[in-house]
Amino acid sequence: MRLLIVEDSKQLAELLVKGLRIAGYDTDVVTTVAEAQTALLTVSYAALILDLGLPDGDGLAVLRELRRRKDPLPVLVLTARGGLHDRVNGLRTGADDYLVKPFALEELLARLEAQLRRPGQMLGNALRVANLEFDSRNRQAVIDDKPQVLSARETAVLELLMRGKGRVVSKRQVEDHIFGLSGDVASNAVEVYVHRLRKQLSEKGARVHIHTIRGVGYLIAEEKP
Amino acid sequence: MIRFKSIISRIVILHVIAVVITSVVISFALSWLLNLATGDIHNKAMEDQAASVARYLVSNPDGSVSLELPPELQGLYSQPYGRYSYAVVDADGHTLISSRKDRTAIFPTDPKSPNVGFLKFKRDDAAISGASLPKTIGDRKLWVQAGEDLANRDVLIDDIATDFFKDVGWITLPILLLLLITDIAIVRRALRPLRQASEIAEHIGPARTDVRLPVNEIPSEVRPLVLAINQALDRLQEGFRVQREFTADAAHELRTPLSILRTRVDTLDDRSIANALLADIEAMSRIVGQLLDIAELDVLVVDPDDRADLREVCAEVAEFIAPLALEQNKDVALLGTNAPVWVKGNPEMLSRAIRNLAENAVKHTPRGTVVEFTVEQNGIAKVSDRGPGIAEEERDLIFRRFWRRDRSQTGSTGLGLSIVQQIAELHGASITVENRPTRGAQFSIHFVASGNAVEKAADE
Repeated sequence: MRLLIVEDSKQLAELLVKGLRIAGYDTDVVTTVAEAQTALLTVSYAALILDLGLPDGDGLAVLRELRRRKDPLPVLVLTARGGLHDRVNGLRTGADDYLVKPFALEELLARLEAQLRRPGQMLGNALRVANLEFDSRNRQAVIDDKPQVLSARETAVLELLMRGKGRVVSKRQVEDHIFGLSGDVASNAVEVYVHRLRKQLSEKGARVHIHTIRGVGYLIAEEKP
Repeated sequence: MIRFKSIISRIVILHVIAVVITSVVISFALSWLLNLATGDIHNKAMEDQAASVARYLVSNPDGSVSLELPPELQGLYSQPYGRYSYAVVDADGHTLISSRKDRTAIFPTDPKSPNVGFLKFKRDDAAISGASLPKTIGDRKLWVQAGEDLANRDVLIDDIATDFFKDVGWITLPILLLLLITDIAIVRRALRPLRQASEIAEHIGPARTDVRLPVNEIPSEVRPLVLAINQALDRLQEGFRVQREFTADAAHELRTPLSILRTRVDTLDDRSIANALLADIEAMSRIVGQLLDIAELDVLVVDPDDRADLREVCAEVAEFIAPLALEQNKDVALLGTNAPVWVKGNPEMLSRAIRNLAENAVKHTPRGTVVEFTVEQNGIAKVSDRGPGIAEEERDLIFRRFWRRDRSQTGSTGLGLSIVQQIAELHGASITVENRPTRGAQFSIHFVASGNAVEKAADE
């Protein structure tokens, strides 16, 4: 799987290439906006890793051009500036995710994988936490390689939590996801489904824990010993 | 010296003073001219009278001279109050003929000049003014005098003068007032571009350094001032731009080497060394990030129109910090209102302030305890932990840059709370620190509630 890295710092680019090669990715590196535009037109990449501060302009120009062509290529933005304006600008222009420098290589790989596992992208749709796996294509939960039967709403909650693994999924997101726009939702409905899901997973031997962040949402993580 | 607050009041007051002075001067000048004119008319009339009397002088055969006035003229000189009078004198000063009862000359001191003379004479309490006209009858040189009692004439002139002032006053006063109103209108109109410029200038702030005052409409007298203000704004904007660019460049220049270092360490095979180095890089990155935050805050100014939903800001921070807290077996909770709480401020800066408080709280709260975020409807956000709390005497110190209770402790920059305070100051918010009755510290930031919360919510 080939990735394009647009990064003007040679050293950082080399290290990224090395790290990504170990993770099994092939990479091309360019250092300017112009080279990036050309590369994107000639080669079909699986994802783009884009630095914003480039010698001949703002990396966002590459992103804007890409989205103008309606190219759904997953884009991971790297930025040295941590401000909201960068974040908002980046996401509005169509970045799928962003990382503020300095970032952990592990984090970069995780974010990249999350992007590539989206429906329609290169990697399969299996999401994994500890011994729990969720295949978002056939919406199937698997524990220790054994497929499990869950109710439709429990499956919906699990899917959302697995997609957002490592991050907090807000209660509002869960409500929207399982009930959609179908009228009023009882205030404790989400708690009820999360509680049932938790019980089911624990009974079936999944070594995961669904944390409740009071007032905020839920987070699925590997169970600590 | 009187100090005027406005140009209009200065113009009105000075104009009124000028009007009063002008009115007085014009009055005196006019009455003087009027006197002069009536004097001329009088003299001419007297000369005419003398001439008409002279026309009826008859030279008798015996050498004497007699006057044969027609009846209509006789009437003029026989008026009971003796307003007009005439007399004829010869070269020796003898009065030959006189309309006066005592048969004397009107002007005893007649210089007997060869030309017409205009004379004045005071007799008893009457002031007589008139003309003396030389006339040759036969071979005799005579002077015909005609006079008018000025006491009578003054009555007339006074009438004219009084009427004049009454009439002229009625005309001039409205004219002068009209002039004053016109002046005010002209000045107001002339100053309108300045007023508009002032309104534009009101919007100029560090957040809006791109505003310039319009120059085209400004009167040329004030234009240098406006141009100077615009040039000052240019320099100001340039200063802000340079500082902002520096901050952005510094961020790039500092963070890229840190990224290189971090990635290099990430690919090291010896994980024990790598983990120690990563902790150092983490601490270094944190200091760099906070220094950049401070540099950015020094030039960033809150747009007065910015609004933020404090509940949403706290929810995002709680979401962000929760995975880090859970890793350390610590928990977070968001309490308080569930409704949006609109306050004045930049959402990103508010978020940074709350995040710094949250990071401190997560650091200090013991394992197994909860860091609580509480949002109140009146614009207060509280972050509390279950840690050791903050001693009374340290509560001012903790906001100082680089202050740390324990200098040996790593991973703390002593910058977090100074950033929080700087953000609070920029937003006109106040911070209070207290210890909870049970255990732990509680930081409260009281933000300024936004007036148009309802509109804003409706816009969403």
